[in-house]
This record gives sequence, structure tokens and C-alpha cells, in this order.
Amino acid sequence: MRRFARAVALVLCAFTLTSAARAAPAGSAEKGRQLFLRDGCYACHGTRGAGGAIAGPQLAPNPLPFAAVLMQLRSPAYRMPLYSRKVLSDADAADIYAYLTSIPAGRAASGITLLNLGSMAARQAVSHGKK
Amino acid sequence: MDNRTPKPLAVNRGRRKFLKGTTAAGAMAVAAPIGAKLIASGAAPARTSKAPLRPSRLDEGLGPHPKDHGLLSSAGSDYMIDVLRKLGIDHVAFVPGDTFRGLHESLVNYGLLTEPKMTFSAVNHEETAVAFCHGYAKVEGKPMACFVHAAVGLQHAAMALYNAWADRVPVVCLAGARVYSAERGIYVDWDHSVFDGPALVRDFTKWDNTPLTLEDFGNTAVRAYKFATTPPAGPVVLQVDMTLQENPLPGDKAPPIPSLPQSTPPSGDDRAVAEIAKLLVAAENPVIAADRAARTPKGLALMVELAEALQCAVVDSHARFNFPWRHPLNQSARQREAVADGDLVLGLEMTDFHGIIGQLPKSVKTLSITSEDLYMKANYGDYQHFAAVDMAVEADAEATLPALIEAVRRLTPNTRRPAFEARGQRLAQAHLAALQASREAAAVGWDEQPISVPRLCQELYAQIKDEDWALVSGTVFQSYWPQQLWSADRHYQYIGDAGAYGLGYLPGAALGAAAAHARHGRLAVAVGGDGDFMFSPAVLWAAAHNRIPFLYVIHNNRAYFNEIMALQRIANRRNRGIDRTGIGNDLTQPIVDYAAMARSMGVAGFGPVTDPKALADVFRQAVALVKRGEPVLVDVVAQGR
Repeated sequence: MRRFARAVALVLCAFTLTSAARAAPAGSAEKGRQLFLRDGCYACHGTRGAGGAIAGPQLAPNPLPFAAVLMQLRSPAYRMPLYSRKVLSDADAADIYAYLTSIPAGRAASGITLLNLGSMAARQAVSHGKK
Repeated sequence: MDNRTPKPLAVNRGRRKFLKGTTAAGAMAVAAPIGAKLIASGAAPARTSKAPLRPSRLDEGLGPHPKDHGLLSSAGSDYMIDVLRKLGIDHVAFVPGDTFRGLHESLVNYGLLTEPKMTFSAVNHEETAVAFCHGYAKVEGKPMACFVHAAVGLQHAAMALYNAWADRVPVVCLAGARVYSAERGIYVDWDHSVFDGPALVRDFTKWDNTPLTLEDFGNTAVRAYKFATTPPAGPVVLQVDMTLQENPLPGDKAPPIPSLPQSTPPSGDDRAVAEIAKLLVAAENPVIAADRAARTPKGLALMVELAEALQCAVVDSHARFNFPWRHPLNQSARQREAVADGDLVLGLEMTDFHGIIGQLPKSVKTLSITSEDLYMKANYGDYQHFAAVDMAVEADAEATLPALIEAVRRLTPNTRRPAFEARGQRLAQAHLAALQASREAAAVGWDEQPISVPRLCQELYAQIKDEDWALVSGTVFQSYWPQQLWSADRHYQYIGDAGAYGLGYLPGAALGAAAAHARHGRLAVAVGGDGDFMFSPAVLWAAAHNRIPFLYVIHNNRAYFNEIMALQRIANRRNRGIDRTGIGNDLTQPIVDYAAMARSMGVAGFGPVTDPKALADVFRQAVALVKRGEPVLVDVVAQGR
């Protein structure tokens, strides 16, 4: 996942440096959700872009700029499938992007009891591994 | 356990003994009445001076099976059971097969009833039998046995043996055979006959043999056990002919059983160990990478000792429980960063060390200690990509750790200790930061439907964290969420994955591991995919029948998800779109009701659970049932990964 994220970050960086960034075209979040599920994005990224750790990175909330997402679709880094214009038009990509941007931020980890169970804390003890 | 009394064999003198007696005395009149009856009826050929002589070795082992229905005074397979017991093999699993009916009968009427009593688990598939052994051995630290047909049974068992081979786990597989052609009657006997059955699995078993006499069986079994358990461990197959099982003991006297020697795993030589210690002490940021380093609880303690002596990073690839999940020096959740920061990486029993060090600059020193190079075969690729290390010590890592720890301590000057402590503090902070990052990532999609995988894992953990729990499944398809978020520091709490990722591993292996944990009163929990489960769902019946308590959580993404992602990649590269990639991958139409399936086989079933808010109550009920000794299945409809 981190290798993928790094690749995406490099793509984004290169894109920004060439000043070729485009604003996201208007899209339909509702249609984008349907495409997100139909076109298999959910398989690696979860149905709402939460990510699947080693399978695929988190996409939402706060997705990368549209241009970076589009570049990753057309020239994917790491193991992501290549989405040509034939199988996913720019308009479809814009709809998917609209869906990703429509996803609100979830709850903060600090507010979820199960993510703050006492025994999860890293211990500073030096004696471990005793049966 | 069946408490029936053993059935004594009915006569005092066996056919062979009788025959021997008649030959010696030269008069049938001295024979026991039943033996005389056999000879008189012509059912058993009398040995006469005109009879063709077979080699004496065969005469005591392989040879014509008695075609009569008379009583036998002793059983060769009873001796085999005694050999297994002397080796400490106390549990057996199998689905029945006529080529090992002698062994089967000896187990149920002798092994299960006489001291030290063995135990038995009935299963429904040879693949499950081997997987059961696989999981059991990783918990108990010693092999158990399975019985299979040498022909069709070994064919069924093959994939599971490959998993055990790739996972370096000892399994003792006894393959019943009809080697001697006189034993082959109707057509199916010929179909189920094979001369060299183990040839099928020889590429991925550590050793096999076909003993020709009972004494040979004793020697061979002890040798096989040694091979199986000496690092790198692996499965072994003994092909056991029916006649050897069913004929009486030669002279009604059991051959001696060799003692199992106390074995010492190979450890690294002193000079190499000292050199590694010197390099570790001198490195600015040494990293220890481990995959199957901690074979035993002692190995885990040694891993901690070494890491704490150096205050260095440890990255665990999770084929075993190599390092406590919440130890401050555990950097597994930020493996790439930790390795990239390192100037030395020491690999301990790594499967894919190249995957860790392959992209590192040459300035990074790379070392390995592994028993992998001591025994390997050619045909299958589980030997992995070659890892081009600077220094390789061909030895068992766990056996080498005491000397390495001692050398590290001896060679660490006091002047280095402040730097070590500062490094340890930095790593502890990095561990906490990674933990917090994992929490934040887990929070995304927390309330989603299908249920998010970290939500599934945390709801489960909340119900088991105060129990003596053990996770008996791998976690790669759950994106390692347990390692990221749970706390575990006991060796038995995690046993790794399948080895070769052959599907069908988990149901059987989880059951075998659960059977072992049940002996220690631990709560066994597995989380596995629906696709894997569909390979061997009959394991539910085995769980109920054998009364093995465990909680089996189906991570139900209703597809062979890994293959969906693979097919998407190739379909899009061919510019055909992915709208048809569900064909052959989806587990829908119909959707499987796993809870109903469980109930139909006598296992408590919950689900399908689709609402994340319902998970807590379901898991609470499930854990309560498991604590009462029941197997339980919970079907959770969840995200793919």
C-alpha cells in the first residue's frame, strides 16, 4: 500500500511541477457511486473508498486532485488495473471523482471506543515473549 | 473418548507362528486347533519343503495376505501404533480407507483404549486430514499423524502436503497401500493400488519410504520423524502395505522400537556468529527481519532478548509469531520505512528475503541465518527469488540466537549503549505513530456496509481480548489488521498462514489448531474468507463430531476476491473492461447461507451479519458458546479487504 501511495505521490508531484493540473470537471456523485461499484474500484478500495490496506490505498474522504486520480487511472503505478478511455471515459472518471469528493469524513479514531482499547497501547516494558 | 475395553485378540498362536511350529516339529498334530483348521481347509497354504521360498525378509513382512477368515493372534498394525506412541504422536486424523483398515482397527481397538491412550479426529477429506495435522503441529510444536490411501487419498492430500512443506511444518502421513499384487481383488482394488504412491508428492515432502517388514517400519518411522522435525521441518510419508498391517507379528513377537535420539538443530558456527554480532553492534540502524524465526516460545523470548540488547527495529513477515505485536521495537506496520532507514538487515528464516532487501542500495549490509538452504528441492518454486545477501549462515535461526545474543552483549562497548537507548526511544515513538495511523485508517469506513474489515476485527477482539485467546488463521487477506491493532505477546496466539496459499487450508488447519488449543483451555478463533471455506465446508461436521470448540468467522466478501483483482488487471490491459470479471469469481447466485450450513452439521451458526452494530452482540454470544465447548460459525458480510 505504501509503495502504491508513494507512486501516486510521485505522479502527483510530477503533475504539479509541470503545471498541467486540471480542475475536476463536474460529475454526478450518484452515477459515480454506481460506476465505482460496477467498474471494480470497490474491490481494492472498499465501497466508500476507505481502502483495503495492502490491496489498495484509501481514496476518500479528501481524495487526491482529479488530475492525479486520472493519471493513475490511465497510467497506473503498482498493481492497479489500467483504465483506458474505452473502458472508462473521462466523463465516467469525473463522476467517480464526484462520488469520492461527496464522501464525508468519518468518525475520528479517538471517538471510537473499539480503536482505543486499553490493551492496544504499546507497552514500554522490556520483558516480553514469556509464555 | 471411547471407553470401551480393548478387544483381546482371540488366539494364542498366530498362523505364522503355527506354520513355523509345524515346520519345526514336522507334524501338524502339534498345532493349535484353529491353526489346524485353517490348514485343513486349505485356506492358508502350509509351508512345505516344496513350496517356493521367498526372501526371509519378505516372509516376515510383505507377502500374501491370509485369505482365510480365521482368527489372528496378533496384529502388525498394533506394533505400528506402538511405534507412533513411542514417538510421542498422540493424535491421528483420517477419513477411512480400506488400504489402512488394519491401522484403523488397531487405532480404535488398541491405540485409543490402551495407555498411553491416543486420540482421534474424524474428518471428511484427506486434504482436511493433512491440514488438521498442519495446524495442530504449529500449536503443539510436534507432529501428529494422518492416515490416507496411498492412491486416491494421497492425491487428495497432495495440496495440503504442499502447504505444510512450504510452511516448514512436520506432518507424519501414513499411506495405506496394496503394494503386493496378490492383494488386489476386484477392479477397484486395482484402481486403488499403486506401487510407489509417495512419488506423487515427492517434490514437496521431506522424505518417504515403503518399509518391507515390521522391524523396518519401526526404524523407518523413527527416521521419518527425525527428518520431519529437524529444521527445516516438513511432511514425511510412510507407505504401509496392507499385509504388513494385517499379518500377525512375526513369531508373535513385536520387533524392537528404536528410541528417538535427542536431536540438536543446526546452529551457526562461532566465527560467523561473532562476525554478525560485530556488524550488528557497529550498525547505526540495524533491522531484524523475521518470518519463521521463532519456532517455539523459547524462540520468541530469544527474539525479544536480541532486539532489546540492540534496541533495534524488528519487522515480522508473520509466518510465525516472531515478536510481540505491541512491543515498542516492533516496526512491522512501517516495514518499508524501517528497512529503508536501516544500514544493516539481518534476515532470520525468511521466506522472501529478496522482497525485503532486493531494492536496497549496496551500501546496506545484508545478512541471513536460515535453515532453508540446508534442504530444498527443485521442481516447485517455494525456494523463492534468490536473496543476494552479503553473508549467509546456513543454520537454524532459533538455535543460533543464544550464541548471537551472548556475542552481541559481549561485543557491545559501554560507549555504544547511549546510542542504543536513543535508537530504542525513536523506534518506540515510531511504533506509537504507526499504531495511531492504523487507528485513523481503521476509523475510515467504520460504519460502512458491507462491514469494514478493521471493524470486523475490532468487534471480535473486544470480545476475546480478556480471554486466553489464540488466532489460528493468517491475516494477509484481512490486511494484517490484527497485527496492526491487537495486542499479543504469547507464541501460541498466532501461527501464521498456509505456507503456499493453497486454498482449503484454513478450515482444516484451524480445526487442528483448535483441537490442540482445547487441550490447554484456550479460546481458538479463526477469520477466513468464504472462498477458502467453500473448499472444505465439511470441516464443520468434523468440528461438531469431534467436539472441538472454536469460533470460525467467515469474512464473507462473496467472491474469490484475489482473483477478481487479478482478472481486472488483465481485462483492462486488454482494453475489454471489467464488467464481466465476476464470472467465475463471484460466490453469488445463489448466495450461500453459511450459518444454515453450520447448523445443518451440528455447529451453532450466526449470520449473515450485515449491520456492524450487530457484531458485538453476535460475537458475545458466539464466544460464550465456544467457552462452553462448542464450535461456532459467524458469517460476516464484509468488504473485500
